[in-house]
Amino acid sequence: MGLDNMMLKLDETVTGIFAEWDIYTTTITVIIITFFAYQIFTSRDPDAHPMLLARQAQASPVRQPGESAVFRSHSAPHGIPLNSGLNIKDPGDSKWARGRDGDLRDVWRRVISGGLDRDGKETGELGSIMTVMGTENIIKHDLADITRQINLIGQHIKENGGNNVAIYLPNSIEFLATLFACAFYDLTAILVPYDQSTEDIISLLHKSKADSVIAAVGSFPFDVVTKSYPDLQQLIWVVDEGSRHMDWNEVPKGTGGAVNVSTWSEIIQDQESNAGAELPAVERTSELKNIIGFWPSGEMIRYTHANLIAGIAGQLTSVPTTQRITNADLFLPADSLTTLYPLVLTLSALFSNATVALNSVAGRTPDIVMATQGIAPTIIVASSATLVKTHSETSDKMNSSMYRLVHWFQTRSLVVHGVMPLATIFSRLFDNLRPIIGTMPGKLRLIFTSSQAGSDSTPLSTETLQDLRIYLGARIIYALTAPKVAGAVTQTSIYDYRGDTGTEKCSHFGVPVTSVEIFCRDTKEQKTTDEAPAGEIIARGPAVVGGEASIGVVGKIQADHTLALL
Amino acid sequence: MDYVENRMAQEAAKPTPSPEVQTIATPINLILVSLLIYVLYRSLSPSKSAPLPLAPAPVVFRTFTPPTLLPYNGTSDMPVYLAVRGRVFDVTSGRNFYGPGGPYENFAGRDASRGLACGSFDEEMLTKDLQGPLDTLDGLGDEEMEAMRGWEERFEEKYLVVGRLVAVGDEEKQGNGE
Repeated sequence: MGLDNMMLKLDETVTGIFAEWDIYTTTITVIIITFFAYQIFTSRDPDAHPMLLARQAQASPVRQPGESAVFRSHSAPHGIPLNSGLNIKDPGDSKWARGRDGDLRDVWRRVISGGLDRDGKETGELGSIMTVMGTENIIKHDLADITRQINLIGQHIKENGGNNVAIYLPNSIEFLATLFACAFYDLTAILVPYDQSTEDIISLLHKSKADSVIAAVGSFPFDVVTKSYPDLQQLIWVVDEGSRHMDWNEVPKGTGGAVNVSTWSEIIQDQESNAGAELPAVERTSELKNIIGFWPSGEMIRYTHANLIAGIAGQLTSVPTTQRITNADLFLPADSLTTLYPLVLTLSALFSNATVALNSVAGRTPDIVMATQGIAPTIIVASSATLVKTHSETSDKMNSSMYRLVHWFQTRSLVVHGVMPLATIFSRLFDNLRPIIGTMPGKLRLIFTSSQAGSDSTPLSTETLQDLRIYLGARIIYALTAPKVAGAVTQTSIYDYRGDTGTEKCSHFGVPVTSVEIFCRDTKEQKTTDEAPAGEIIARGPAVVGGEASIGVVGKIQADHTLALL
Repeated sequence: MDYVENRMAQEAAKPTPSPEVQTIATPINLILVSLLIYVLYRSLSPSKSAPLPLAPAPVVFRTFTPPTLLPYNGTSDMPVYLAVRGRVFDVTSGRNFYGPGGPYENFAGRDASRGLACGSFDEEMLTKDLQGPLDTLDGLGDEEMEAMRGWEERFEEKYLVVGRLVAVGDEEKQGNGE
């Protein structure tokens, strides 16, 4: 009887509640069901599985006392040698032979021969090189003509007894041509950072013992330099079209009579049109000279071709295959090519037969819009200072509360769901406030940026990187570079959008590239324990000058095996 | 059926509520609204990703002497180590062979170079005096050295090098890079 009463009471309660179903109840139920349906239909798989992001590098199973385990990328695990070269097979090699590492000459040979497929057969995909002048004028260069320029310039410098060639040019085709000419004709290339004061130029020339200089006309005072630097033997001016009628060979009276002055265009035009069409033949045994670079701290580093090639190989393989630079990409270095990271990336883009665009304003202005005008790049390299400036300008413009809501949703899509946010009706309302990179919005897909270890350049925080991904609609790879390493030491994964890693000031720097391995050495303050490696970061590998070198900063390896600086 | 008929008659006899009495805050509405708020909260609040458990800490490379290597023979939960030509290998994964009760258990915690060269597991292949110098492997011909090199290569592929073996008193001397 008691149970019957209880059941009756229960029945009456439940019926009573549902008896009050009205229009509002229906509305709320519809809202709940719509919410679930929306979540299901708009859910997207994350770009990278969270388990892959939770452990991104491989630690060695043994560590030396006083040091931490050695960390490597998953693409170059322990037990196999680090990626050191481009796997170049010469015609006549068997298909199964292991290719050789190669040097800068092979990079140019790949540019003019076109892409190779997996069997080594030519696919006929040729890249191209363009110079962008302002917004209207884009010059596409003929590869055979550039080969001719390389040959003639190299022969000219060699015949006049040059050995150490200083390149003082902005980003231009002449820069690349001189770099390749030094590789083909056995000369040392010295990359002098552009836009410096005369005293700095003279001190750099002294340090590197340059005897030939290739410079843009008017970029430095000829008489001052020849007086303070008497070792100068050759000078080649690069003259733009408008000034070619003037006679640049005239040396002012009383100055540098011993210096052989000529202009680039004269050297090219003086020879017959079929001279210099053939590159020197492939020879594997010659000892190549070095490439000298200068870092903002004034340090001078000698890189061998092997270091640069290992840096290029690391860059080519550290990005997942679907995101790599291909023939369809348009690559624009928005930073000076005398900085090694953009140079290594530009050479990788040339090796991948992409279209490379050069803009002489790049590296001299921190404004990304100006450096990318006139063209629609798909991949760019920018310095962290440029990106910080872009971020602060854009966030000042886009700070309405309506946009903040849209931004919050897009950040959720990035961080929680792990996908790049889609452009929705709401986000398109603010499109005119975004920075305009290139002529066609939406083409830019990847931005490479770097921070130099030890220098006081502005680091990028995790929040800044997230905001920039949303503002620019492109993925960002953040690399750590160091003087003694060609290319990057470590790089973040292209699909790593997480928000809770790194320190507050600075994002984490990801995992080593495939041509470098890193470990931490104990310092007085930071010691490696069983759980957390920390200490001075040392890099080892074919991309490191001298085989092993300290990066110069103290950092720690986090639980997901990415590097964070302390 | 009786019960159902009675209940239905009971409900039908109730007067319909007049429109002014209706409020939004009926119990069913409150229940559904709280359900909606809960669902929104769960889906929009930031969720912590589950971290992977920490990988086992890397082994520290150690310099062993014969007495300090001896305890690593698999008894009392110790890992199994053996030394070949000055390099100490962690053979705990081959416990069935090298651990206690296995056919090669004499090698555990000892310098196995001579035994591997000659292909014998006898007691006399091991150095008797743990405090003395290491076995210099004299008296072994080329065939035996070949055999030992073969064993060493197999060990390199299968097992991890966790240290080096030096004689007592030689700990401070730098090894040859291994």
